[in-house]
Order: sequence, then C-alpha cells, then structure tokens
Amino acid sequence: MPVGEGKFKLHAKLAAPLTAGLWRLRADQHFTAQSGDTPLDESDLRVNQENVHLRIRSPRYLLPPDQILSTYPPANSFGSYGSRLPQVVIKRRTLPWERSLDGAPENTPWLALVLIAEGEAKLESSVDVNNCVTAGVELKGLKEVAKGNCLVAKRSLINSVFPTKNDIDLLAHAREVDIRDTELMMGDDDGFLAVVISNRLPLPGKDEEGNDAPVKYLACLINLEGQYDVLLNRSPDPAPAFATPFLFKTLLYQEQPAQDDHRVMGTALAPGGPGINPVDLGELTNPVPLAQGIKGSRSTRYQSGAAVGAGAKPFAGSGQWSTSSPVINTSAKVSLQMAEPFRIVDDFQMHPYDPEYRFPVLLHWSFTTTGDTTFRSLMTNLDSRLLGDKGGSAKPSNGRLPLEVAESGHVGLGHQTREGDRVRAWYRGPLVPHPTKNTGSDRLKLAHSSDQLRIVIPDGREDLSLATAFEIGRLLTLSQPSIIASLMRWRQADYHAARLHSLMASNRSLWEEMLGVGFEKIDAHKIGPLVGRLFADAIVKNPDQFLGNPLARVTPGRPLEFEGKASAVLARGLGLEKSLFTGDLSKVLNGLRDAKIPRDDLLLNELGLVDVRDTLGVDLDKQRIDLVSGALSNKLLDDHLTGPAFPVTERFRVDVLNDNLDVILRDPRRHGFTDEDES
Amino acid sequence: MINISSDILEHLGAEIVNAERRPFTEFKPDENTAMPAELRNWLVRLRLLEGVPFANLVADSELLPQESIRWFYLDRRWTDAVVQGALSVGTVNSDDRIQIDAQYPAIRAELDTEERNVRRVEGMARFAGQPGPISGFLLRSSAVSGWPGFHVRAFNVDLEDREDDRFPEDDPRRMRLLRLERLAPAVLLCMFDGIPKVVHIEEPRQGVQFGFMHEDNGNQRSAKLRPRNKDDFEYLDEDGAKDIDVPFRVGSSGVVDIRRLSEDLAAHDETGANDDGLDSAEYALQLIRFPWRQVFGEVQVPPVHEMFRPSIEYVSMVNTTFKL
Repeated sequence: MPVGEGKFKLHAKLAAPLTAGLWRLRADQHFTAQSGDTPLDESDLRVNQENVHLRIRSPRYLLPPDQILSTYPPANSFGSYGSRLPQVVIKRRTLPWERSLDGAPENTPWLALVLIAEGEAKLESSVDVNNCVTAGVELKGLKEVAKGNCLVAKRSLINSVFPTKNDIDLLAHAREVDIRDTELMMGDDDGFLAVVISNRLPLPGKDEEGNDAPVKYLACLINLEGQYDVLLNRSPDPAPAFATPFLFKTLLYQEQPAQDDHRVMGTALAPGGPGINPVDLGELTNPVPLAQGIKGSRSTRYQSGAAVGAGAKPFAGSGQWSTSSPVINTSAKVSLQMAEPFRIVDDFQMHPYDPEYRFPVLLHWSFTTTGDTTFRSLMTNLDSRLLGDKGGSAKPSNGRLPLEVAESGHVGLGHQTREGDRVRAWYRGPLVPHPTKNTGSDRLKLAHSSDQLRIVIPDGREDLSLATAFEIGRLLTLSQPSIIASLMRWRQADYHAARLHSLMASNRSLWEEMLGVGFEKIDAHKIGPLVGRLFADAIVKNPDQFLGNPLARVTPGRPLEFEGKASAVLARGLGLEKSLFTGDLSKVLNGLRDAKIPRDDLLLNELGLVDVRDTLGVDLDKQRIDLVSGALSNKLLDDHLTGPAFPVTERFRVDVLNDNLDVILRDPRRHGFTDEDES
Repeated sequence: MINISSDILEHLGAEIVNAERRPFTEFKPDENTAMPAELRNWLVRLRLLEGVPFANLVADSELLPQESIRWFYLDRRWTDAVVQGALSVGTVNSDDRIQIDAQYPAIRAELDTEERNVRRVEGMARFAGQPGPISGFLLRSSAVSGWPGFHVRAFNVDLEDREDDRFPEDDPRRMRLLRLERLAPAVLLCMFDGIPKVVHIEEPRQGVQFGFMHEDNGNQRSAKLRPRNKDDFEYLDEDGAKDIDVPFRVGSSGVVDIRRLSEDLAAHDETGANDDGLDSAEYALQLIRFPWRQVFGEVQVPPVHEMFRPSIEYVSMVNTTFKL
C-alpha cells in the first residue's frame, strides 16, 4: 500500500527471515506408488536428497558507503545540533535485525550509534578484523572483510555513554516512505529504510566565561555482537538536568622516540600531516579494505614531523613507512581524516581498574556542535520591521553622527561635491519602506546622464538616489565587455534595419506585390530569405525562363571532310608516308607491315585509371555545382537543402564574397566608372 | 548531370511549398523583441539588483542590525535609473540618444515582463501583463549562516495554517520568488513578485529529525518532551501541562536515559503504550521534531509608525522649527 507523498510509516522492526551466515537447505522427497499389484515403496522410488548451501551476507565490520542514505548531523559540518539526536539512515531495511546477539531477546538490534566527544575514546582504523573485538571474544561465521575499524572504549565510558541493554531496541526502527517523495527518499530504491538513533545529544561545551564552546563529536555505528553483556543492564537513576562539562585547554606533549632517532640519523620519513602518533602508523599505512568492489586507500602518508628538515635524506630503508599509490579513495581518505582527532585519548580521568573494550565500527563520521540555539529560537526573536527603521540604540558609540532617516526612507549621508565641498546629501536605495508610484506617467523619464537625475529638494540638500542608481548601472555595464559589445552590435544592426526600411518604404508597392504580404509585416531582418524563397519559387514554376534546355545525351561528331585522294587522307590520318599507300596491293601490305608506327610512350605507372577518373570527376562536379548554386541563395540552401537527401549541400554554397555586388562590378559595361566621373 | 540538378530542383520545389504552408511561428531568441537576448538578460539582472553593491542597498549598517529582518518595497524609479545608466553606455552623439529615446518604451515594457520570468520553473507558463509591485526582505541572522538552504515561501492569501501542509511550487496561492540569495554569510536577500500576505520561513528539511525541546539554564541544561497522540499525531496538551522532563544519565554529558523516558511516556496511554510499553516505532514517533516554520504576517497589522521609526518626522520638525 503506498504511503502517500509527504507521509511516512514507522515500523518497530523489519526482521529478516534468515539471519546472516551459512545456511543449508535440505530437501527430501518421499514417494509411494502402486504399479499393478506390486506396491512401490520409498526404496524403489528414491529421490536423492537435495542440499542447497546458502550464504547470507551482511555487512559486519564495515558498512559499504552505498548503503548509507544519510547521516544527521551531516558529516564534517558545523552547526547548532545540541537539541537533536544524531541518526543514520541505512538503505538496507533489515540490517539492524540481521544478526542476533547472544543473551539478548530475539530481534534485538545488533547495531548501536554511539556518540563520543573528542578525547573520550580512541578510534583505530585498518585493524585486522580479529583484533576489532575485545580479546577473548570471537565472532563466529563469515568475516566479510579482512580489515576494519574499531573503537577502543574504557569500561567507565561504556557505563556513561553507551546505550544500556534495554535502550538498544528502542533506538532502531524502520521507516517506509513514498517512493515519489524525493525529500524523504533521497535516492533509495524501494522506500524502506532502517534508522538507528543515538542516545546522546551532541551538546556544546562551555568555556571559562560560560559561553558556548564548539565541541567535536564522533558518531560511530558499532557492532555489539558477542559483547552485549558489556553494556549496563539499565542506567543508574537519572537526573532531570546535568551540569555542563567545562572545556580545558590542554597541552599534549607526546614523546616520540622514533622522531628523535630519525633526527639523529639524518633520515626523514615521507611528508604528510603532523601530529600522528607513530605507534599507529603501522596500522595506518596498511590498506583499508572496504566492501567488495571498492578499492581501499593505499596512500596514507604520515610522518614524524620533527625529522623533516633541510638536508634530511629520505628514509629509504623499507617501503613500509610510506606506501603510496596514485589511486586514492576519497571517501576512505575523508573518513580517515575525520577519525584523526580521536586517535589520542586524554587519560585525565584515570581509574585504577578500567579495562578496555574494542567494538567494530561499521561507520563513523564526525561533526562539530557550536551551540544549542535552535532555528526556532532565532526566528521567534527576530526584530521584524520595515527597512529604514532607525533602530533601538539611541546613539552610535563610535562617535559618528546619529543616523538621519526621513519619513520617506531617505538617509542623510556625507557627500563631497565636485567642487570639494563637504555637505550632506539625501540617499535612498532601491529598498524603501513605503510603496512607490510605479505605473504610467509616474515611471522615470529617460535620462541620458546621471546629472539629469540629481534633485535638489526644498531643504536645500541634494537627493542623489537616482543619480547614484544611474551611475551604478553605467559602471556595472562598463565592467562587462561582452555586454558592451552586444550593446554596440545591437545599435549597429538597428541602424542597418532602419536604413533598409526607409529604402523599402520608397518602393512600398513593389515590395508588397513581390512578397505578397502587407508592408507592415515585412521584417527587414528577414528580407533576404524572403526574396530568396520568392526567386526559387519562380524558378520552379517557370524553369524554362531561367534555365536552358537539357543538354543532349550524345554529342554528334563533326562531319568528316575529305580533301584530296583517299590514300592521302588515310596516310595523313595514320601519320604515315603518303607513298606507302601507292602501288599494288602486295606492295602496300608489305610496306605497311614494315612501317614504324609513331606513338607516344604512355606513362601508365604514373597516370593510373583512378587518377583520370578523379580528375574528370572534380571537373564534372564543379560544373554541376556552379550551375545550380548560381541560381540559388545560400540561405535557401541552408534552410531547405540539408539532410540525407542532399548530401552535397555544403558544396553548393557559393563563396560569400561572390555576391551580386561582385557580379555588377565584374560587368564590363560598368568598367571605367568611378565616383569622380560621376561627380 | 542536368538530370541530377533537375531532381534537386524538384525536391526544392516541394520543400518550398511545405515552407510556405507552415505557419511562421518559431521565433529565434532575438526575433520579435526589442533587444538581443544577452542584453535583455543583463538588464533584467540589473533590475533585480544583481551586482549592486550592498552599501547601495542598505546605506547604513544601523538600518540592518544583527538578528533582524527588514521588509521593503522595491522602488521602480531606482531600478529604472539603473537600466538607463546601463543603456547610456556608448552613446556618443545625439543620434544615439534619439535612437534610445525611440526604443526606450519598448525596452521598458519588455523588461517589465521579463523580470517576472527570471526564476520560472521549466515548463511553467510565461508570465505576462502589467508590472506589479515588488517587495521582499533582508534577513541578518545567524540562522542564515547556521541553517543554509532554508525555505522561504510567500502567499497572497491568509492560509489556514497547519504544520504539515505542503505547497507545491506551482500552487496558485504561492507568490513567486524573484530572488533568494545570500549576500553575505549571514545576510539573505529575498524578493517577491508582488506583496505577500503571509511569508513562511522554514528550517531546511534534512530528512526527519529526532530531538527534544531544549533549555540552557546557565550551568545546567535540561530538556522537555511533549507527548503526542499516536493516532492523530497531535500534542496531548498544547500548553505543555503534560510535558515530560527528559531523564539524563548521571555523570555523563547529554546521554539520555532512553528506557526511562519511554516509561515516562507510557504513563500517557495516548502515546500508544500498551501493556508492553512503547516499541521503537512508537518511540521514534514521539521524538520526531518538525522543521520549524516561522510565519510572518499577523492578522492585526501593527501601525506603520511602529514598524518604521524615522529620526526626522514631519510633524515634530514643524513643531520645533516654528516653536509650536
């Protein structure tokens, strides 16, 4: 049933029929039959047992990025999130219920969204999955990935921040939205989503003066498998309010022996961001494996900053410290960066016995809370007035004159005139507190310079509002060369159109008759195509008036002329001696047989058959094109002679220069006329 | 070869006949208009004050204090002057000016129409007709910087306001926004095509959010939750008599005692709690926070002298000058 746009349905849980892991499907078939008198039992009609093995995969240590629909608050953002619980929306609707927790009621979500302030716990990335869980805990079944991230949390933190056992099932639900609703769907495919909410408000801290101080939070979606018992049974007795923690500026000094060694040895590590504990580097520089099909980041380069200096040689011992590859996975990089401040835990509050627990982190992102003001409180406390209100404050503190606002909305401002006098003038911007007269004759008359718009009002001061506006429009336009060019082009084109129009107006009746439309409808900009169309139409209707008769298919040869004796003509035609053809027949035959036949040596290898055809073809085409294109305008060809039916249109185009004016100039009758002659 | 040419001519004739019969409707952008398209776009942008320095919009910072919203009408004489200044570029002689003089009425009429079509959604009908008044507001608030992308809607009728009402972009009651732009990180300029009766400013809808009503009492923070009825999603008690104090876990900052809160909610049967308490969906339903919608436009319009207090008033000036 569709949910309806703008609405959504909440489900407490959408449990998967099968939890993740390895499954075997066994199928047995039992038949009995009667064949005549002999009954056939199962041994006669045996069907082999069918075993189907299923592997149900589900993210366990890392959530593939394409499964995350949205996170709130947005990753890496700053904002007043103090009154909203963080949440993550996952596309796979059954994910929170796909695995089971030992010791927990059925269908308890195995995921929890834990919110950690900076310095409370440590996030380790690229850890072998076996080390992602607390030592002694082993997760049976498919591992899905080789390396994952893990959260190292102390017992005390788990007690104070993690959700308790009976909180967990309230913190995950499923949502069904309408698939046409882009606002809620945000790119999901089926409209079913799983939502995991955190149990902690991302509150800002307080600094020494009691003002809100931004706090960076890390939200981790952790896997609780095998460690459900670590959580509190239920939370201690609550308080209706809580004291805000005060932030202390702490200086952290980290002794890093590895850096000192490098300084002594004059070697350097690969460049990178400072402030990384080298102890973590071994893990960091290993590739981060992600879900199938996603390349892990191989290029985390870290250094111990102190060792990089002038003259330091790059450390070339082993590639382990600076593995880099050009392939950088951006999302992996960003999440590494977000995890960075959470690598170092301040051990300020040490407890004598405070064991550490490790939880696999499927997804983590960080954001900064700057306060807990809400949109609502800001909006309801807005000072809503008309623009131009002089404001509540009586006098400005910095020694300026009090603001002068007239009832019309004009503001008094200092004005240095062109003569250099310092006076005060009135100015009112385009945004005014009263409606202005906008219609009909109240519209501003056209001005050609800003000084036309300067007004002196009865109190003797100038009102420069409109003059300023004029100047701003002029200067803004002058700053845009393309607009100036367009303005000039437009002006020029209009001059041409106006000239053409006046020319045509003198022969008004002729044009109306020729074009067949009213003179008012003749658009000067389109006169060319119209005339071309008319001309072509005339050609088609009376081709005999414009085009010659078709050429005959066969050209008759010239009549042969015989002069003198036949033998002489024959000899001349063959290029032989005339005497060869005289005498009796046997002499002529013998003479002809011995005669040397004059001929040119053909350069067959250079002048091939193809070349001959090409040469002739080009000439043929040129003749054809000249014939047709001379009769038709370019515009006509472009408009109507395109497409597959007319593959040669391009070649029909006449050179632009060869227009009628050139024809007239080439006219021999007009040679010799110059302007001087006429004058 | 002449045969090929005559074939072409026959095709040509058919094409021409077709072209003759086809009505002449397709105008290219620059045809049948008072000015080229690029120039028109530029002038329309100028008309909507794009690129105009902020000091020319608001002459003094005292006119726009922090956390304030200032409403205005757009002065068309001012925007006309900007356009005239733009047209004056490159006018050298009186010939040029005569030409502009002749074309100015057509230009102005075209801009009046075009400026209403600036933010037209693809597929909507073009607006035409007489130019109406333009109004808008300037908002200077940390809400502009903290909640980027909030929604502004203006309506030309008083709406029966309901929290979950949604208004499609082409709702006839909605007035169009001519401009919605952040001029500075915390300053927003918005202009409407007309004078709205009601303006909604709504928190950005980043999905559905969960949270509480939050109070900061100096050193202590607390939060309240107002229970809702499961069936109709209304608050059980609008004035907050049934508000529940959100329990927090002792010794940790901001950690909500989820289970205890659900038990508190279960005290009200309307929340959907049966004998087994709330399930996670019912629980989420209680926590949903809607994007806040601020509505401007009271039924009781305050007098103008409360909304706009000039420092120089005609009456008081006359009184002081003439010692009345």
